[in-house]
Amino acid sequence: MSITEQGLLQRDKDTMTLNMGPQHPSTHGVFRVILEMDGEVVKTAEPEIGYLHTGIEKTSENKRYVHVIPMTDRLDYLNPPGNNLAFCLSTEKLLGVEIPDRANALRVIMCELSRIASHLVWLGTHALDIGAMTVFLYCWREREMVLDLNEEISGVRMMTSYIRIGGVAKDATQPWLKGIQDFIDYFPEKVDEYERLLTKNPIWLDRTEGVGAFTREEAINWSLSGPALRASGVNWDIRKSQPYSGYENYDFEIPVQNNGDIFDRYRVRIEEMRQSRSIIQQALKQLPKGEYKAPDNKVSLPPRQTLHTSMEALIHHFKLVSEGISVPKGETYVPIEGARGEVGFYIVSDGTNVPARVKLRAPSFMAIPGMCKMMEGCYIADVVGIIGSIDIVMGEVDR
Amino acid sequence: MTGEEIIEKVKAGLADAIEDTDLPQGDAVIFVAPNSLHDVAEFLKNDVDLKFDYLSDVRGVDYLLEERELRFESVYQLYSIDHQHSIRVRVGIEEDNPSVPTVSDLWKGALYPEQELFDMFGIHIEGHPTMERLIMPKDWEGFPLRKDYPLTTETVAFSHNRDFKSELVKSKPPTR
Repeated sequence: MSITEQGLLQRDKDTMTLNMGPQHPSTHGVFRVILEMDGEVVKTAEPEIGYLHTGIEKTSENKRYVHVIPMTDRLDYLNPPGNNLAFCLSTEKLLGVEIPDRANALRVIMCELSRIASHLVWLGTHALDIGAMTVFLYCWREREMVLDLNEEISGVRMMTSYIRIGGVAKDATQPWLKGIQDFIDYFPEKVDEYERLLTKNPIWLDRTEGVGAFTREEAINWSLSGPALRASGVNWDIRKSQPYSGYENYDFEIPVQNNGDIFDRYRVRIEEMRQSRSIIQQALKQLPKGEYKAPDNKVSLPPRQTLHTSMEALIHHFKLVSEGISVPKGETYVPIEGARGEVGFYIVSDGTNVPARVKLRAPSFMAIPGMCKMMEGCYIADVVGIIGSIDIVMGEVDR
Repeated sequence: MTGEEIIEKVKAGLADAIEDTDLPQGDAVIFVAPNSLHDVAEFLKNDVDLKFDYLSDVRGVDYLLEERELRFESVYQLYSIDHQHSIRVRVGIEEDNPSVPTVSDLWKGALYPEQELFDMFGIHIEGHPTMERLIMPKDWEGFPLRKDYPLTTETVAFSHNRDFKSELVKSKPPTR
């Protein structure tokens, strides 16, 4: 339906209807919101989504488990390893596979690196929306280093598909580990640099403090998750409350703020970047030796050299490549803490090598109604700030 | 609370509303009929020991390919932030006139996923304020995530290799 057909251009009330998006640079993708304005103040905000609908859930019902992993990268395209991990954990729970310690540590390193990269994109674009151009360029500079590390280990800069069912795609290489160590040695002073530009900047404070505030009860009731929930005073991080992939072995803190406004969400994410860096440091230090994928021939491919000598390995290899992994009948859901909040795949298996149903719990999707609730009563200039502070990714909203 | 304790507690509080329980890999799962869903949800949210104040997700499943009496299912994933435990509520829904009451009056976060349930499966949500398409276009026909909705290619407006492509689609065996 066009804008004229919907009557959006008519003015028969005291309020004005204003269309924002889907092609608006500050809506972080193809998000459209229809604002009912009274002067400069937003009366109601009605979200409109579906412009990036790709039918990944339907496609997944026609692909083997292994083939779904590259598609999960495309859901939340700023935090691909988190999505890979969520899908693999659910599948592994149905399969009942034990993951080796080294694979778990590599998964944690990858996820925390991508959390840093995702928060850098958020900080850069969010600051740019509010008018701070320099931070944007600085953030991109550091993000580029994470992307180079991604390329080093997986060959791809963004859609890594590095985490696989049963472990990871390949073992860590020395240049990669060295690169990560260099990056985390270099990174902390850069976070201080962003903070020097923003945290006490009077313009930044004017634009963020007290804007788009949600109380603790509201944030829980509207199903916000991740940094947006923690900014409202809820101390809930799935890495602590339901640890997965060995997060219980690392010592880190959960940043929590109490006002629930844009500034507090900013503070939480900045501190999360520091904590992620500390987790990577610990994981590198105590990186266990051993297998990088489960030595279970029903799940992961046997080592290349055994194919020439072992008949069984050859058969398993052939079966895995031609038929894929058959997952026992059942349904399960394993939540993880992604960069934006609770991510998890609800998988229903009918006992074949193709999932019967795959449903992503997307933090951005769940946050959109609450985000539009926050917009009510604030100025139109703050709408952009609120969208940025929730950090939506339309890839996982529309799926 | 562990899964077993949650199930025991729920059974003690709502003996007649719970149809069945399950404990797959330690997760607490309860089966509920659509007409008692709202009462169960209210109990789960307000009970002091359970206090499921956070709704993680609502999803639909179509069990057309399995031999089942009830074709659809809507699944509610609940979490308690204070007690750090979770439960899954599975609601079987019949094929003719599928409908289920809303829980969006208890958890506002249910508004969007319930609307998606209608959009993708055609399950009517009783009492939901906006029962219309969410992700698909407003004039779309059919419900894409149903199992009998075919997975086809989209007709393109123009293409240099359209004939070749349609041949390819016809000759391709199913992905399985």
